[in-house]
Amino acid sequence: MTGLLAVGAILLVGAAIVFVLWRGSGPRQDFLTEAQRITFETLHTAWSAAPPLRAGLVPEAAKKSARHLRTLLDTPALALTDEVEVVAWEGLGGHHSGDTMRLAQEVFSTGRTRAFDIGCTLADCPVQIAVVAPLTVEGHVVGVLAAYSREASAGLVRATNEVARWASGQLELAELDRSRTRLVEAEVRALRAQISPHFIYNSLSAIASYVRTNPERARTLLLDFADFTRYSFRRHGDFTTLAEELKSIDQYLALERARFGERLTVTLQIAPEVLSVTVPFLCLQPLVENAVRHGMEGKVEPGHIQILAADAGAEAHITIEDDGIGMDPEALRRTLAGQVDETAGIGLGNIDERLRRFYGDDYGLVVETAEGLGTKISVRFPKYQHGLHA
Amino acid sequence: MNSTYGVVAVLVVALGAMLVGAYGLRVSRTTSDFYVASRTVSPWWNASAIGGEYLSAASFVGIAGLIFAHGPDMLWFPVGYTAGYLVLLTLVAAPLRRSGAYTLPDFAEARFSSPLVRRVASGLAIAIAWMYLLPQFKGAGLTLHTVTGAPDWLGGLIVAVVVTVNVVSGGMRSVTFVQAFQYWLKLTAIAVPVVFLLLAWQAHGGQRINGPEYPVFRQTTTVDFDTTTVIHADHDVAFSGRGLVDGARLEGDGLTLTAGEHTIAAGSSFVFPAGATVPHLESLPHTTNANWALPMAAGGEFPLYAVYSLILATFLGTMGLPHVIVRFYTNPNGRAARRTTLIVLGLLGIFYLMPPLYGVLGRLYTPELLLTGDTDAVVLVLPSRMIEGVGGQLLGALVAGGAFAAFLSTSSGLMVSLAGVLSQDVLKMRGVRGFRISAGLAVLVPLAMTVLVGGIPVADMVGLAFAVAASSLCPLLLLGIWSTRITTPGAVAGMLAGGLPALAAGIVTISARTNDQWFHVFLSRPAAWTVPLGFVVMYGVSLMTPSKVPANVNRVMVRLHAPENLGLETNEEPSMSELRRRGEM
Amino acid sequence: MRPEDPPAQRVVVTSPRTGAPRPRRPYPASREITEQSQLGELYMRSLIRTQRTLGLLVVGLVAGGLATLPLVFTFAPWVSRLQVFGIGLPWVLLGVVVFPVFVLAGWFYVRQAERSERQFAELVERS
Repeated sequence: MTGLLAVGAILLVGAAIVFVLWRGSGPRQDFLTEAQRITFETLHTAWSAAPPLRAGLVPEAAKKSARHLRTLLDTPALALTDEVEVVAWEGLGGHHSGDTMRLAQEVFSTGRTRAFDIGCTLADCPVQIAVVAPLTVEGHVVGVLAAYSREASAGLVRATNEVARWASGQLELAELDRSRTRLVEAEVRALRAQISPHFIYNSLSAIASYVRTNPERARTLLLDFADFTRYSFRRHGDFTTLAEELKSIDQYLALERARFGERLTVTLQIAPEVLSVTVPFLCLQPLVENAVRHGMEGKVEPGHIQILAADAGAEAHITIEDDGIGMDPEALRRTLAGQVDETAGIGLGNIDERLRRFYGDDYGLVVETAEGLGTKISVRFPKYQHGLHA
Repeated sequence: MNSTYGVVAVLVVALGAMLVGAYGLRVSRTTSDFYVASRTVSPWWNASAIGGEYLSAASFVGIAGLIFAHGPDMLWFPVGYTAGYLVLLTLVAAPLRRSGAYTLPDFAEARFSSPLVRRVASGLAIAIAWMYLLPQFKGAGLTLHTVTGAPDWLGGLIVAVVVTVNVVSGGMRSVTFVQAFQYWLKLTAIAVPVVFLLLAWQAHGGQRINGPEYPVFRQTTTVDFDTTTVIHADHDVAFSGRGLVDGARLEGDGLTLTAGEHTIAAGSSFVFPAGATVPHLESLPHTTNANWALPMAAGGEFPLYAVYSLILATFLGTMGLPHVIVRFYTNPNGRAARRTTLIVLGLLGIFYLMPPLYGVLGRLYTPELLLTGDTDAVVLVLPSRMIEGVGGQLLGALVAGGAFAAFLSTSSGLMVSLAGVLSQDVLKMRGVRGFRISAGLAVLVPLAMTVLVGGIPVADMVGLAFAVAASSLCPLLLLGIWSTRITTPGAVAGMLAGGLPALAAGIVTISARTNDQWFHVFLSRPAAWTVPLGFVVMYGVSLMTPSKVPANVNRVMVRLHAPENLGLETNEEPSMSELRRRGEM
Repeated sequence: MRPEDPPAQRVVVTSPRTGAPRPRRPYPASREITEQSQLGELYMRSLIRTQRTLGLLVVGLVAGGLATLPLVFTFAPWVSRLQVFGIGLPWVLLGVVVFPVFVLAGWFYVRQAERSERQFAELVERS
């Protein structure tokens, strides 16, 4: 009997919970006005369309954004095109997709919104009229947005126009993104080409000084120089292995040692487990160059540089340390924050930005320094990162 | 057995490991010469390291114990553990290395570009690592208990603490060279005593092992019962001592244990005379030595099913063990990965010649372990039993030290890879802090489980971990590497369909007593049905969802299979300094 | 270009790189593979098929051979009573003989796999 009562009580409580939840989840109108609701829903839909638009007018992404844009316009069908073809058709009447480019011709040439009568003869085909609006980026028409409906209305034309303008704004942002990426790439290229004339001059004169006294050493150094420059000017691939990068660093150091002689001492400590880790091209060599510059500049006593590569489970940890004049932490902070400051380190900002871009913000440079106290730069690399190969 | 030398050996091994951790033994070379500093790990070193990490408690003490109790059917354990590397070599090694993956979840993501597949794979990898850590801790407890009489949980705790401190204090200490040294240490610790044991056996007259009699006590033997034990005697056995038998308090000399089953209470201590037939633990097969030496003769339910299940699990499970996969990353390329695996085959083959010898000699010299059920201790007890005086004690200490090294190296390898997966895929905390927190988490779970787990032999528990790996991650690897048709839903469905039943079966076997049920063998050896299930579901679901084939499958296949000498993408002429070193300039 | 040669006649002097062999063929097969063309896919498929067959063959032979043993021991018990040097046949097979067999099979596989990769590389780069 008590068992029956218990079951009944449980059922009752369960039913009560379900009821409360059901009531609670129902539409509530008292929190916001109609205008607020419309604003919220429109902006929410619009922002759902934004990320795919940022990828540009490519089929996969365009399909996603077209879905949200059609919701905004509330039309039976909607198409997006780039300059040559339809990249997305969303909604009914897909057999009209082929006509879109013909309609778009005039929009491309004039850059103005146009309406067309299609008059499909098929029964219950909703595609009867089309409103075609241009998508412009920096004054060029890069595609069109075509809204299809049963009947023309001023409201549809106005709305299509506004949606196309908004979408154009997103495409402009996408273009901005792309040019920023291109800028970073250009910077990488520049960095590669930026073997400083001083370094070339110094290396060659050091080599020259050996030609008579120690021709064998001169020959070795010349080969190092050749390998080093060839690696630095390498054109293909943004990634390399840690082993390759370290090899180039070694060649660089051999050349610097020829110049500084006994004054420059280097300790390398490398865990063999991390040699096959994939790293961005030229992400360490500039750090070493920086260490040599700061470690040897303006002092007479010997400078010591320590390069450590340690295995840390799923990551590799690299540190580069010198015992030189150090850097001004404020200036360094500005450099790492993206403000251009020529004095603080060669390309430190660039390397920092590349690392963060490839691996995420956790993986930026960590620099420990103070004026006169030397510098220690630490970098971490994940051993595996999806999509990155040497 | 109370041996000062054994305690010293265990302490030395444990302290040595701690020191390596604390001072960070810099086996990576410190030098200003780059060519010396950055020489990649040679296949020989890497293979030794794999061997060092792979030879676990199950290999060092478990196999001998099983053979000692059950006979040649248990030889399939070492055979399977080695054959796993043959499968790994022929079907996985090179493509896996070429994928650039560090862990199995990495491979899953590289192959399927799907976070979902990655998540499922990492969940399974974590489960497998935990199942594998558990017997390490149990084995350590057993070793310490045998050597010093300390309580069972203490050894596991020591291993857990040592390994955690190492991993947490300095990140990764399973440096290749340290692990490689571990292999040779273990080989020495098991092979050197064997030589002396065989000599001693010859000196004692080389007594036949497969004689027609039941195992008998060679000398007057005192047996202490730590737990309440159900035993079976084949003949009446005379004994003395004191304790509770079948609820009756016995004390004094001239007692007789009648043929049949008896329950002996914990705390009893009996002395059996030389020449008496050894009563057996009830759950162990009791047969004559002649019968014991024959395969498929021990009885038990569905012996063929059990053997084939074991074969499937061990042959296919090795490739799914997280700490094995991680080591392949150290190889510079796919070719080196193959060569490494080939050497591993040889190294394991040499090691596995030894444990059966302990099991066999145990039948003659330590039969009382059949009575107490501590069959896993046979490796540890034999040397001091067979060889008199300090010599035997020293050999015993060597074995104990080697066993402890086995627990430490396998556990630390597992911990490092497990902590890596936990921090990346579960806690989503990268960096040193995430790694440390994960390491703590990685050790607590199996340590807690050791308390719950009953008396399953160490090697059987390892067998369960293999079964889960073989039925979930093995299909992912094999089908993922060799078939372009596998889809994302197929991969997920296959891993779950094979892995979850195997996992469930394992948990039931570990936590509940199913020994006397007819389905016990199906749960304790699940591989024979879960492995085919995993493969069939993965392939079948993939065929049903052809539109879900990853878009970049062809590109991935090129990465996995293109030989290095083709020089795609990274095609570089040899550098000047390389030519110089080769003497071509 | 030894200096002691008398400049009797003008010679054509160019950079030494001019005469160096360089990949001048428009579409070497390895490029087809990196570019994922239809042809490249075909090349890779044949390599994968070869390697898969080889791997399965080695594993199949060794594992298949081993897998018959439990059947033999069960249905022909007299086999397991055979003695080799005074040791039971099952012990010899499973305790000793299998390990060198594994190593041999592995060695054979590595040799064959590397050979077919070499052949593939030659085939693909010659075109």
